[in-house]
Amino acid sequence: MGDLKDKSIHLTAEKLAEEIKGMKVYKDFYKDLQRLVSSPAVQSEDFKSTLLAAMKETGMETELRNTVFHWVRSHSLQPAHAYPLKEPLAYLRKSQMQWEKRIHKSLNSMCTEIGVSLSRFRLASDRDELSDKWNELSTYDIDLTSYRPVYAPKDFLEVLLWIRSPNYRPIDGEGTWDFTQIPLKVKTLAELRSFYLELSRGECLLGVNANMPSHGQYPTIELERTALGEKVLACRHAPVAQEFLKKGAPRSLRGRLWAQVMGSEVRAADKEYFNELKQMVLQYDLMVDKLIIKDVQLTASNDDQYFVFEDVLYQVLLCFSRDTEILSVYNHSCGSPIHGVLKSRPATLENTVVYPPSGVIPFHGFTMYATPFCYLYDDPVALYLTVRAFYLRYWFRLHEVSSHQQGILSLCLLFERLLQRHEPDLWIHLKLINIQPVRIVFKWLMRSFSGYLPPEQLLYLWDIVVAYDSLEITSLLAVAILSFRKHNLFQVDNMQGIEAVLADLSSIQVLSLLQMALMPE
Amino acid sequence: MEKHKAAIAHNGLMYGRVGSTMGEKQTVSYCTDLDKSVLITNFEKRGWQHVGPDDDWNFYWAGIHTCRNLFSVDSGYRMNENQMINHFPNHYELSRKDLLVKNIKRYRKELEREGNPLAEKGDTHGRYLYLDFIPVTFVLPADYNMFVEEYRKSPQSTWIMKPCGKSQGAGIFLINKLSKLKRWSRESKTPFNPSLVKESYVISRYIDNPLLIGGKKFDLRLYVLVTSFRPLKAYLFKLGFCRFCTVKYDTSIQELDNMFVHLTNVSVQKHGNLRLYLESTRGKTVTESLFTNISWLIVHSLKAVSYIMANDRHCFECYGYDIIIDNQLKPWLVEVNAAPSLTSTTVNDRILKYKLIDNILNIVLPPDGIPDIRWNKIPSPENLGNFELLLDEELAAQEEHVPKVDFVTAAPQSDPDTTSQDGGQIRSLAPHCLRRPLSNQIDNIELNNNEILKGFKPANYNI
Repeated sequence: MGDLKDKSIHLTAEKLAEEIKGMKVYKDFYKDLQRLVSSPAVQSEDFKSTLLAAMKETGMETELRNTVFHWVRSHSLQPAHAYPLKEPLAYLRKSQMQWEKRIHKSLNSMCTEIGVSLSRFRLASDRDELSDKWNELSTYDIDLTSYRPVYAPKDFLEVLLWIRSPNYRPIDGEGTWDFTQIPLKVKTLAELRSFYLELSRGECLLGVNANMPSHGQYPTIELERTALGEKVLACRHAPVAQEFLKKGAPRSLRGRLWAQVMGSEVRAADKEYFNELKQMVLQYDLMVDKLIIKDVQLTASNDDQYFVFEDVLYQVLLCFSRDTEILSVYNHSCGSPIHGVLKSRPATLENTVVYPPSGVIPFHGFTMYATPFCYLYDDPVALYLTVRAFYLRYWFRLHEVSSHQQGILSLCLLFERLLQRHEPDLWIHLKLINIQPVRIVFKWLMRSFSGYLPPEQLLYLWDIVVAYDSLEITSLLAVAILSFRKHNLFQVDNMQGIEAVLADLSSIQVLSLLQMALMPE
Repeated sequence: MEKHKAAIAHNGLMYGRVGSTMGEKQTVSYCTDLDKSVLITNFEKRGWQHVGPDDDWNFYWAGIHTCRNLFSVDSGYRMNENQMINHFPNHYELSRKDLLVKNIKRYRKELEREGNPLAEKGDTHGRYLYLDFIPVTFVLPADYNMFVEEYRKSPQSTWIMKPCGKSQGAGIFLINKLSKLKRWSRESKTPFNPSLVKESYVISRYIDNPLLIGGKKFDLRLYVLVTSFRPLKAYLFKLGFCRFCTVKYDTSIQELDNMFVHLTNVSVQKHGNLRLYLESTRGKTVTESLFTNISWLIVHSLKAVSYIMANDRHCFECYGYDIIIDNQLKPWLVEVNAAPSLTSTTVNDRILKYKLIDNILNIVLPPDGIPDIRWNKIPSPENLGNFELLLDEELAAQEEHVPKVDFVTAAPQSDPDTTSQDGGQIRSLAPHCLRRPLSNQIDNIELNNNEILKGFKPANYNI
């Protein structure tokens, strides 16, 4: 047994070493290391220990540690023999495949309908216009009336609601109202309490009352957190920053803290890379570009909180579609990107390309995965890197079928079980008026509340997502909100009424509600 | 009679001041020139009676013209003790651009003559350290020569011309060449255009480094309520908003003729989010100092006119302050509007303006809800709503004369409102007792006169 464990660590280390060599940072890192070795700080007599000391001194050790931390996070370290497949459940694999086929079909039929191709070289005139207007793409005026979102959250919800486990034989009429027919393991409230230990202990959090007096030498908790946060940033260790976020980030440090945890700090190479992506946007005219522009128009441009950032959102999302690094998501996603065959070439493997280059087909509301970050980053490159990092870590799970604990299906189940168990009156009320609870909250979960909560509150919620590296908090928040508005919900008996009760979440204090839900009675 | 008293007590009107008509429960009659729903719904919610301007009104929400007629010597109208109106007779001292500039210039000079530390000047450009909050401005045609002198110092700069009496961007144009101004002055003096000759303009240095958000230029609209000028009693509405240009900001000169680039009247965003954005992208310290400087700017502009204003006790006024923030996070006062628009374009806008009116009424009316000029105009803290006290010189003076401990303990029968200051939350602004409570949690340490200047360190001020 011990042997096996050693072996697996050895294998992991080997894989890690190999993959680090393939990373973009490797070249510069290696150069710096060579420079360090030839410096007087490293002596040949005592090579190993002087080198290690020198690496610590220059911060290269921290950099390496952070790289390993980010690598480990992005690779689920299950023993290789446990699940050979990214999605162990065949029926979920199947429904994801069918869902992808539907998207593919719908995309193709829209192309035929409008008479455009999926991809082509951009016409010179168009290219010049786009290039001129790059910083004010809201004035890039094209006719989008015939374009419509490929799908909306409610279409995806229908897909999820139709999933049936072959191992589950429903008693008559059962299994049409909720997700009970899908036997996935989700956390109980008790398990959530121990998982979100710092929240359930009722410690003071920054998002609850920033002016609370602190214990130490600082007059308020906000000042204390800011001073501590500066230290955390200075030490540059990603896991420390992650731990720090558990009690909420001060506004002035949040952007840097998130970038540190997600490994999305801007390096010189990133600026170049972003510019390359821009060139790709200028060079090729993709049909998804229109879908992206349309989605920004339908969402952010219409939103009181976000319309100011419209222009930078176009830039970031267009570049996102060209970024092939996003394909790395398919290392651990159970989905697969859509492929297309190059025009007038035989359908062979080398003529087959992923479409769009990022592999992500935007849907109605996709923009909202990026909008809240506009409050944190002025610079489009910094904004882009963190948006991408969040997508690769979290958001992709919100629009695919999978049994993963963070997948949308598990989040829905978690919501339902918590509601049924802890708000039985409300559950029964909804049952009596025949409204599926998940229909009320699905849009919140699928966008992780972006666009539904005011920006400040949303950022506090996402602090918790990053700090505990889990989306499960969103299900809990959904239950807490319903529970908080329960008396009003009892007064209404149709979907319209319910939507009216929940339409305005501007008064919701996220961390207070979560703490209330998590603190033991 | 007994029953009536009970009813009053029941309604929470504990102060039992029932107006001049003894015993009878008085309903307030209101009159308004403006057919705005945010006004009417607020008046009706309070159960007020609508009457015409010639009837016996208690509360008049008037346009500035009505107000001028009402206060003019010719009208002979005399208000009684139970009447209130929403303008001061000579509000134009603040809201006319030329007079505002004149008053602020004079105010600075006075402080300077007094040797007030607030009038201190910086070493480099001879600018005021703490009073430099309006762009360099001249009144035309009167100050033409002074303008030319200033213009020649930096001929590359752009200037903005605004007619003194108009508002909301009417008649504004930009100038980047002296010849253009000369041409304009020639043309405007032609006999074909006699109406223009009388009108005076202000010309101000154009803020050419505005703060941009999402690449867009904006200005900040804040509401300030003044219930008295001597002693000064002013309140700042916490729910201001930003108005964004829809067109991307571009400094290139060929854009100068495109007015849309420069006028900011289009879209609206809450300024609570402005704070979030600035703290996240620029840091907390500079953001705090920006908002503190905005508060000071307002107080100074009001102090500048406080001795000129006809301090009629029937009056209160809500001003719309237009402020531009430059990319060094320094606020610049652009304009003060005595009759800010109450038209609402979106639902949020409507909610905001509804709250504004509601909160104004709560502050200007005595506790029993009936206009009465004998009331001391010290509202209770819970009536402030979304307003925060900027400055109440009367309270500040009391605070100065009575030791704090005695003040709280020895005067239990005094109006509880006066204790609203929450002990140590007052800090001095200037030797002649300009005071305001700390609004934005920067520090709740009381600052004495010597320490005033610490908060105003140039380093703090200009980033």
